[in-house]
Formats: sequence, C-alpha cells, structure tokens
Amino acid sequence: MPATPLTRICYVEDDEDIQRIVRMTLERVGKMTVEIVGDPTLAIEAMTTFKPDLVMLDWMMPKMDGPALFRQMKLRPETSSLPVVFITAKASQHDLDELLRLGAAGAISKPFSPKDLPDQLRAIWAKLP
Amino acid sequence: MAHTPTATVQAADPLTASAAGRVSASIRDRADPRLVLADRVEQLYSQMWLGILMTFAIGAIATFELWENRLEELVLFWWGLVLFITASSAGLVYAYRRAPDRATNPEQWLRWLGIAALANGANWGFAGAVFFPSHADEQQVFLAFLLAGMMSAGIPVYAASWPIFAIYAAGIVAPFTYVLATFGNRLFTELALLVPMFYAINVAIAYRLSDVFHSGYRLRHAYGRLTDDYSVLNQQLERQLVELDEARRQVEASGRKLALFAERAPIAVLELDDKARVTQANPAAELLFGYASAELVGGPVKRIVRPEYHAEFDRQWDAMIASREPVAAIKVRNPRKDGQDLVCEWAVTPLVNPDGSIVSVIAQGQDVTRQLEAERMKKEFTSTLSHELRTPLTSIIGSLQLINSGVLGEIDKDVAELTTVAERNGQRLLDLINDILDIEKIESGKLTMTPEVFAMEELVREAMLLNKAFGERFKVRFQAHGDLDGRPVFADRKRLLQVMTNLLSNAAKFSPEDSAVDVQMSTDGWAIRVAVQDRGPGIPDAFRNRIFGRFAQADSTASRQKGGTGLGLAICKRLVEMMQGHIGFEDREGGGTSFWFELPAAANREKVTRN
Repeated sequence: MPATPLTRICYVEDDEDIQRIVRMTLERVGKMTVEIVGDPTLAIEAMTTFKPDLVMLDWMMPKMDGPALFRQMKLRPETSSLPVVFITAKASQHDLDELLRLGAAGAISKPFSPKDLPDQLRAIWAKLP
Repeated sequence: MAHTPTATVQAADPLTASAAGRVSASIRDRADPRLVLADRVEQLYSQMWLGILMTFAIGAIATFELWENRLEELVLFWWGLVLFITASSAGLVYAYRRAPDRATNPEQWLRWLGIAALANGANWGFAGAVFFPSHADEQQVFLAFLLAGMMSAGIPVYAASWPIFAIYAAGIVAPFTYVLATFGNRLFTELALLVPMFYAINVAIAYRLSDVFHSGYRLRHAYGRLTDDYSVLNQQLERQLVELDEARRQVEASGRKLALFAERAPIAVLELDDKARVTQANPAAELLFGYASAELVGGPVKRIVRPEYHAEFDRQWDAMIASREPVAAIKVRNPRKDGQDLVCEWAVTPLVNPDGSIVSVIAQGQDVTRQLEAERMKKEFTSTLSHELRTPLTSIIGSLQLINSGVLGEIDKDVAELTTVAERNGQRLLDLINDILDIEKIESGKLTMTPEVFAMEELVREAMLLNKAFGERFKVRFQAHGDLDGRPVFADRKRLLQVMTNLLSNAAKFSPEDSAVDVQMSTDGWAIRVAVQDRGPGIPDAFRNRIFGRFAQADSTASRQKGGTGLGLAICKRLVEMMQGHIGFEDREGGGTSFWFELPAAANREKVTRN
C-alpha cells in the first residue's frame, strides 16, 4: 500500500457528460483533485504536468483507444510507472486479463456507480505495492 | 530301377484314360436305373413280334418237315405247343402294350418275358430231344441246323437282356446236348461237348450286346436328365436376365433421379476425379462461379480456389483421398470468373467402391458469403449495443445516483421521487441490455466460463448481502437455512452470483410485504443444492412450461410494476447448465414457490475430470 493517500486523479475520457459526472463524484464524494483530459493524444503531456497519483483510462475513444494510450505511457519514463485503471463497457474477461498482464492496476466496468467510484479506486490503490 | 521310367509312362496313360472314363461314368451315373431297365424291357417287348413270327414260321416249316417220318400225334402235339407259346407270347406283348405300369414296374414284365423265353426255348429243346432221329438221317442235319439257327436268332431278339437270352438258349441247348451225349456215337459225343461251348460264346456275345444296350440306355437317360437340367438352368438364367434387366432399369432410374437432384439443386454440385479435376458441374455451380459447365469440366477444380490457398487445398485433398473419408463444413474462398471472391462451405464426399477404389468425388458447395457478412454485422451490432447504449446510460444513471445519494445537497421531496423513478428505470434498461447481451453470448456459444474452486456457502451469503438493499425496497428480508459443510464447488463465481441475484430478486419481487425469502442450502450425495423460497402467489399453470424461456413473464403488468426483463430465468438455466448443474422449481407447502439449482461438489467434479 502506498504511503500517501490517493488524492490526484487524471481521467482520460472523450464523453463530456461522463467527464462531468466523474469530476463531480471524485471531487464531491471522494474529495480528490481531478484532471480531465478529453483528447487522448494530449494525455501524456497533461499527465507530465499534472503528476497524478493514478490514471483512469476510458477503453473506447476516437483517435486513440485506452489500451493504445496505455502502451504509449509505458514507453515514456514520466508516465511508465503510473498506476492505470481502465473504465470499460466491453469488459470481456479475456480483455481484462490481457490488460492486467500488461500491468494495469485494475478495471472498473461501465456503467459504474458514481457514488461508489471513489471507494473502488481507493480499494485498487490500497492493493498497489 | 531300370523299369521306373516306363512305369511312370504307363502310369500316366491309364490315369488319362480313367479320367475320361470317370467323366463318362459320372454322366452315366446320373441315369435313373429303373428308367434304364424300363427302356430295356420296352426294347425286349418291341423285338418280341419278330421272335413270335419267326417261331411261328419256323415251327410251321419244322412241323411240315417232321410230319412225314415222325409220330403224327407227337408232331401235332409239338405244333400245338408252338401255337400255344406264340399265342401266349402275343397275348403277353398285347397285355404289355396296354399295361399302364410298364414303365413303373419293369421287373414284373421282365419276369413274364423270361418265362415266355424259357417256354419258347424249352419247346425247341423238346423238339431237338424228341425228334432227333436215332439213325443217320438228313433230318439230323435239319434239326441241328434248326436248333443252332433258333439259338443264334435269339441273340438280336433278346439282346437287351442277356439273362433272358441265357435262359432261352439253355432251354434249347440242354435237352439237345443230353441227346447228343447219350447217342453213343463219337461224333455226337464231341458235338455234345462243343454245343455248351457255342452256347457259352453266344451268351457271351449276348452279354456284350446287352452291356452295349445297357450303356446306351443309361447314356440316353443321363442326357435326357442333363437336358432337363439345362432347361431348368435356362429358365433360371432367363429369370435372372429379367431380374437383371429390372435392376438395370432401377439403377438407371436412380441415376436419373440423382442427376435430377444435382441438376435442380440450389447448391453447387461438382463431380471430381481423384486428381481433383472437374468431370461434371451442375447449373447452380455455373451460376455461382460464373463459368459455363464446359469451361469447368476437364480442368482442375483449383481454378475456383484462390491461389494462396492451393497448398492448403492439396494437403486436405490428399488427406481425404488417403483416408477415403468425407470432409464436411470446410469454408473455402472461391474466386468467381469475374474475379469477385465468394466464401463457400463445402461438403466433399469420395464415392468409394467396395474394393476401395474411388469412383469419383462429389463436392457440394453453398455460398455462405452473405451469411458470414450477416454474422459479422451481428457481432458489430452487439458490440455497438454494448458500448453505445451503455455509455449514455452511464451518464444518466450516474447523474441520478449522484442526485439521489444526497452528496450534492438536499433536494425537494417531489423531485427526489421522480429522480428515483428515473434512476430505477435507467437501471432496468441497463439490466435489459445486459441480459440481452448475455443471452446472445450464451446462444452464440461465446460465453466462456472461468471456473474456480470456492466455498458455495460463502457465495450464497455474499449474494444475500448484495441483494439486501433490493429486498428492502420490497420490504422483504433474506434468511439463510442449513449449511453446506463448507463444501466447495468448481464453477464460475461471477456467473453463479448472477444466478443467485436473479433468483433472490425474483423472490423479493413476488413476495408479500414483510415476509421472508428463505434460502435453503443442503447437500445430497455429490450435489450441492440451493433453494430460494418465497411466499408469493405461485406460478400459474399456463406459465409453468415456459418459465425458463426467453421473455417469459407470467403477467406483463408485473414487469412494469416490479421491473425485470423476462430473461433472468432463461439466463439462469443456461448458466447453471453450463456449469454441469440443474435448475428447477416446485410449489412450496403452505403457498409460494421454491426455485432451486444443484451443482456438483468440487471433489466430485475433480473426480469426474480425473476419470
């Protein structure tokens, strides 16, 4: 379990409505600081400046999907060690296993329950080394 | 030792001769002996007229000759005997001719003939003995000549049966020999010695003749029999020819039928030789691949296989030819003549003779291009449904949850009521989408299980806890009964939780307020049984048969009031069965329904797997 509590979250998501709900949930319910990135191609730059504790990636996005972004993050020293949680609507067990094998910290299936989301993230955070 | 080669040569000849003999003997042996005898008797009787006429004529001449110098009464008596014998013989022949049993009772007629012959012979013998003059006289010559003539004349008459001749001749010779022997004259004594020898020679000749007759008759009958056999054979052959002809017509008819099948079949049918060259193509094949039949026939079938798959084609073809086993459901990318690609599903069947040789290979192909496209689109649609419908629902349900949870601050009671309705229906829509996707996945065989070993009881309690809030909405509480001895199951945990959730929420929905839903756990041998029991209204009779069907709801108003998609139990049944279990329901004593499922305990399952 990391020594510091989970406070800074970066969420890469193209759907503006979900962006808003997640921001509201994490800020109001979870009392966290949230950086939302709508364009996955700008995500790594945003992470480098924001320096989040944990990154949430949407699976399906235009331009670049979550797994592709995840692989790019692994190639960059500034982002390679960030824990990543996938938010996915097509949670086939096979896909999830594949992501966990690639080093994802966890996966939360869509639709998620907003009021439970902070606790779910903290549970994943608690399991990290 | 020096004789050995000669002996060998000598041995060879009789062998060949006896082989030929065996053949004719075997043919002769086919004759029926009674029929042969009947023929011989017939021959004897047909010669009798000659004998009778001869006896009468010669007897008349002898009577005339002897009349002068002999006792008239005695000559007259003898002539009387001649007349009597010839008349009796004629009567016998007449009786024989009219007898219905002459073919079936030849022995009897032969005996009568023997008696007649003996009487005749003895009469001549009597003449020789009685009328032989005691002094040298030309009549001695006459009588001797007469008797010798009568004896040799008997040969052709009685030749068909040598014993008859022997009896007849003995009748002539015996008294005469006696007379000669007792005459007291040296010449006659010598003649008396010679006469039996002549007799013996005549009998021997008669014997040989008789044998020839016998053999002839036997052959005649044998050939007659053979001819009969041949006519039977001929009849059989004719019948077989008729049958063969009928069979040929039937084969032709089924050939035409088959040709018609191929001709009118909506699927492509190709006949190939064992080198994969096309020998025939039906109209559907022409239509499908855009080639005329004449273009395909004679050429390799690989013309309608994309070149990059030729190596794979050769491999599969060789395997099929080697095994003589049909190949079914193989998908091949087939280019049309116009270059457009088709995907066809082929069934390829070698037509094999009983001796293992290949007559031809029948390939039946069906265009599945559109079917595959439809499958791809369905998959795409499912994926879209899964993503595009869930994403807006995430926003809707998420927003409403946030509002209803109160973290954004107090809201007006009326508004809260409406946002709760909205959240619940959003959730219901989501459940429906999830259930449809589940059913689709199960039915297309794409749902995979990730089984693990875990304690069933824990899972049951977890499910009760997770659904506690749902139960409270209907003012229903869940109560656990019994235990499972900590026995584990080998199952997909997440899917089993889904089953439990379905059963618990169903029970809650149909339970009266303030009642309990009992969750009964028990073990029965290797089975673990969980029953979810409610005090609801029970299952209507009309609904019992289709309760595990899709979109099955007893009362459609219930789904509106209580939520539910009508797919829950259908999914439960399929999931439980995929985990080698059973699911069912029964009426509960005192009202209500008990839904149960059974799963094999893990140890059992491991045992089964080991076996």
